Amino acid sequence: MSGSGGTPEPIARLVEQFHRLPGIGPKSAQRLAYHILRVGDDEAQALANAVLEVKRRIRLCSVCCYITEHDPCNYCSDERRDRSVVCVVEQALDISAIERSGGYRGLYHVLHGVLNPMDGVGPEDLRFRELLARVQDGGVQEVIMATNPSLEGEATAMYAAKLLGPLGVRVTRLARGLPSGADLEYADDVTLLRALEGRQAV
Amino acid sequence: MSRESRAYRTEGIVLRRRNIGEADSIFVVFGEERGKFEGVARGIRKARSRMRGHLEPLTFSRFLMARGRNLDVFTQAETVRSFPNVAADLDRWATASYLLELVDRFTVEHAPNRDLFHLLYASLESLDGGSAADLVPRYFELHVLALTGFDVYLDGCAACGGRLPPENTLVAAAAGGLVCRQCRPEAGTGRLLSVPAIKVLRHARRASLPEFVALRVPGAVVEELRAALGDFVRYHLERELGTARFVEELRASGSITAQNADT
Ligand SMILES: [Zn+2]
Ligand SMILES: [Zn+2]
Repeated sequence: MSGSGGTPEPIARLVEQFHRLPGIGPKSAQRLAYHILRVGDDEAQALANAVLEVKRRIRLCSVCCYITEHDPCNYCSDERRDRSVVCVVEQALDISAIERSGGYRGLYHVLHGVLNPMDGVGPEDLRFRELLARVQDGGVQEVIMATNPSLEGEATAMYAAKLLGPLGVRVTRLARGLPSGADLEYADDVTLLRALEGRQAV
Repeated sequence: MSRESRAYRTEGIVLRRRNIGEADSIFVVFGEERGKFEGVARGIRKARSRMRGHLEPLTFSRFLMARGRNLDVFTQAETVRSFPNVAADLDRWATASYLLELVDRFTVEHAPNRDLFHLLYASLESLDGGSAADLVPRYFELHVLALTGFDVYLDGCAACGGRLPPENTLVAAAAGGLVCRQCRPEAGTGRLLSVPAIKVLRHARRASLPEFVALRVPGAVVEELRAALGDFVRYHLERELGTARFVEELRASGSITAQNADT
């Protein structure tokens, strides 16, 4: 499969780089590398440039840690948004999901992960320091924890409550329940219990 | 390459998850029958997956599995016992994560260890039931060491076997337990344990978990045990555990937030 010895070194190196990307197995990495070999110089140059441009021009917003070209980011500099509410998400992609729902006009904060001590991810590896600074600066009345409803997501929300609660800010959690399309009979107890707790009048 | 696909049933406590690809995860499970084993769950990160919630670290579940070429595959999962009070309390969750990591680090795959399974199950149950969150892990550390071949010798000097008078006594991981005054120079680094701490440790060896956590142990003694048993764990695993560091950080951040509240 790896063809060690037979594969020229530059190709092996490219395969290796692709293999490091999330979701790319050894077979796909090989396919991508040989694809690059076949494309024209222009196309290869364009890809290389796009990769470098992203690294050169995109940075983390100094306020909310969202990925942005301008600091502060578009969300943070939008005067029409409600500055008293901060919605905390695991990753930058989650913001687009919340924006798409159209139901939120406050600010955001990206943690870039969740607590996972088993894999060595502690609070200092997440953007809690920046979040704490924002709350300490004042003006924030509510922090909505929109981490995923996994055990790690829950623990991350609890940690935020523990960290920010004493500052007098309201820390809330997205209502959890059954994902639409889920069968009740297959729901686990914890999900069912939360769905019941989070029930609303119809 | 013949692809023999045979299904089988098993159960166990989920120790950890590792995400792969777009929607799959690999889970490490510790079972009574099979010991530690791994399997892949396809599509488990999709909202519609029927296994979601049943296959999460810190749940005791029953599985239907299919033999795979490299990894076996989880095809069904059903929770037998979850620990909701642990999941709802940050300190207990951190402590439980530490116990899970200890089991993961102290075991090898496919080596059943029923006593260790029962110890883990009982410890999680105890944490869930509201037992002293600082005593459960101390009992667990002492017994996980004993059950995996790193017994802490407490009945005499670990080096010469001599009797120990009731006084502050050195405990050294390299020596394997308590060490008498004469043997101290060769014992390697360690720390002095007070007489009450030694008594509590000896009691932990004989008592059941419920008996042990019912004890009222002074905070200073618990601290001694935490430090000493932590030495043994680090010595045998040759590493600092991420979960242990997290438990530590929570204790520290507790005082930080308390300070912030004043300002
Ligand atoms: Zn921003
Ligand atoms: Zn001796």
